[in-house]
Amino acid sequence: MIQTLQAGLILLVLFCCSTGCISQAPVSPSPDVTVPAEDYRSWTLTVNGTTQQVYSLADLRALPAATGHGFAVSTVGIKYGPYLCKGVLLTDLLERAGGISNGDQVWISAPDGYLWVFDYDQVQGNGFITFNENLKEIPSPPLRILLMYDMDGAPLSYNEGAPLRVAIISEEQGVVTEGSAWVKWVDNIEIRRKSQ
Amino acid sequence: MRGDRYPYIAWIVIVLAILAAGCSERPVERVPVKVVAAGSLLYPLAEAEAKYEQLHPDIDIQVEGHGSIQAIRQVTDLGRRFDLVVVADESLIPDLMYRPIGGSNGNYTDWYTPFGRNEMVIAYTEKSRYHDEITPENWYGVLSRPDVRVGFSNPMLDAAGYRAMLVAMLAGEHYQDLTIFPRVIGDHFDPPLTIENNGGIRTVRLPQVLKPTGSKVAVRDGSIFLLSLLEAGGIDYAFEYRSVAEAQGFPYVPLPDTINLKTDDQSDFYKKARVILGFPRFSQIGSERVGIPILYAVTIPSTAVRVEEAREFTEFFFRMSQEGGRGWPEPLDGTPVFPWSTKAVAAGE
Repeated sequence: MIQTLQAGLILLVLFCCSTGCISQAPVSPSPDVTVPAEDYRSWTLTVNGTTQQVYSLADLRALPAATGHGFAVSTVGIKYGPYLCKGVLLTDLLERAGGISNGDQVWISAPDGYLWVFDYDQVQGNGFITFNENLKEIPSPPLRILLMYDMDGAPLSYNEGAPLRVAIISEEQGVVTEGSAWVKWVDNIEIRRKSQ
Repeated sequence: MRGDRYPYIAWIVIVLAILAAGCSERPVERVPVKVVAAGSLLYPLAEAEAKYEQLHPDIDIQVEGHGSIQAIRQVTDLGRRFDLVVVADESLIPDLMYRPIGGSNGNYTDWYTPFGRNEMVIAYTEKSRYHDEITPENWYGVLSRPDVRVGFSNPMLDAAGYRAMLVAMLAGEHYQDLTIFPRVIGDHFDPPLTIENNGGIRTVRLPQVLKPTGSKVAVRDGSIFLLSLLEAGGIDYAFEYRSVAEAQGFPYVPLPDTINLKTDDQSDFYKKARVILGFPRFSQIGSERVGIPILYAVTIPSTAVRVEEAREFTEFFFRMSQEGGRGWPEPLDGTPVFPWSTKAVAAGE
């Protein structure tokens, strides 16, 4: 009798061990974003100014690089960063396309349909709202607009905006800027003249 | 005989120990239900999430906030698999989601359910200049004073931003004083924002970059930054949604129904104001924003992973929204209902 009980209990133990003791909700993994192959050999950036410049990613990486600290916040207060950003300065690319003058604008867009416009002052790093890490407004330190291809020492991933993304950078750490200007997947930069 | 019982008791102890350990220590994998929502709904959604997860510990409601257009774009343009989309402008769902998913015959969705209203108000603090004078009758006079600083969200990024402009334009019509918009907003930008009148429709065209002159007007990317500035005393008054002002504990001045964008009864009047944004931030939607009542709506995209769980959470959210309360949109008459049943969808009907 006791042996029968023991055998039954052993089976019960094995059953509990194999299934867990509570009924779990059925779970299957939610699929992530479909990420295209991170192969950007055919990708190009077009910069339209007085002249039109077309760059491959290798071309951009061969240009003089700049680095700085970047930290963005979304319109609902979600912080992204801090990052160490590396890429090409927007002012350098504009200079190679004929430069810009006071009153001109720079339209930066991406194939997902997103567009952001910077005015002359912003291209020079002025006129941005800046926050500290607690999202309290602070006076803006010197800022620069970067076309970033590396983040924290590695190439951008697709979800981070690869192969090229706008970043507003500072020499100081912990300077947060509004994320609406951090255009992802940039493939077109256009100088709009004041007279246009 | 007594000695024979010890192995039996020992086995019971072992079984109980395993049962207890399994129940208390083994983490239950929770079913994620992914919600993408307008920023002005984050407070009520957080309340609903907490209560729902208490009732359903096997469910993990995961809410991500964006502007309404960006919320939809997460599904349509960026291909993310959200189970529920909740926006602050019902018209965006048919405009942006009634279109085919790439490589298939079906649309991102073919339905939506409105569930609540909101209205524009003027939020302030006890530190705001003339807060002890301001009333629903004289608010525009107070906001026009040169030493009073006014803020609103960036119309390019936040529907509350262009709605602030629509309110100021409609106020000119309502109070028969066309200087209200320039005095409160328009004259304090470089270049100044001017109103065109085409057959009774008032239109303001925004420049590509909104640049306030001086400190009279402040523009911030979203409510969170605007209200932070209000709290810090950087501005005296902010155009804001009633529910958001309430959720954050700010006193506010209610506005007349003719200009607060709340009621269907005034929808013809609201249409008399129009804002044309400086550039199409998203190529998928135009730059024109016309005055219409503020109506919140939900849909479950056809790309959702957790359709049944999303439906159950939404019905719970609808029930809570019918109760209303601080920080919630105003409920509609009658309980919102889905235009379909998941059973019918599962059966292919």
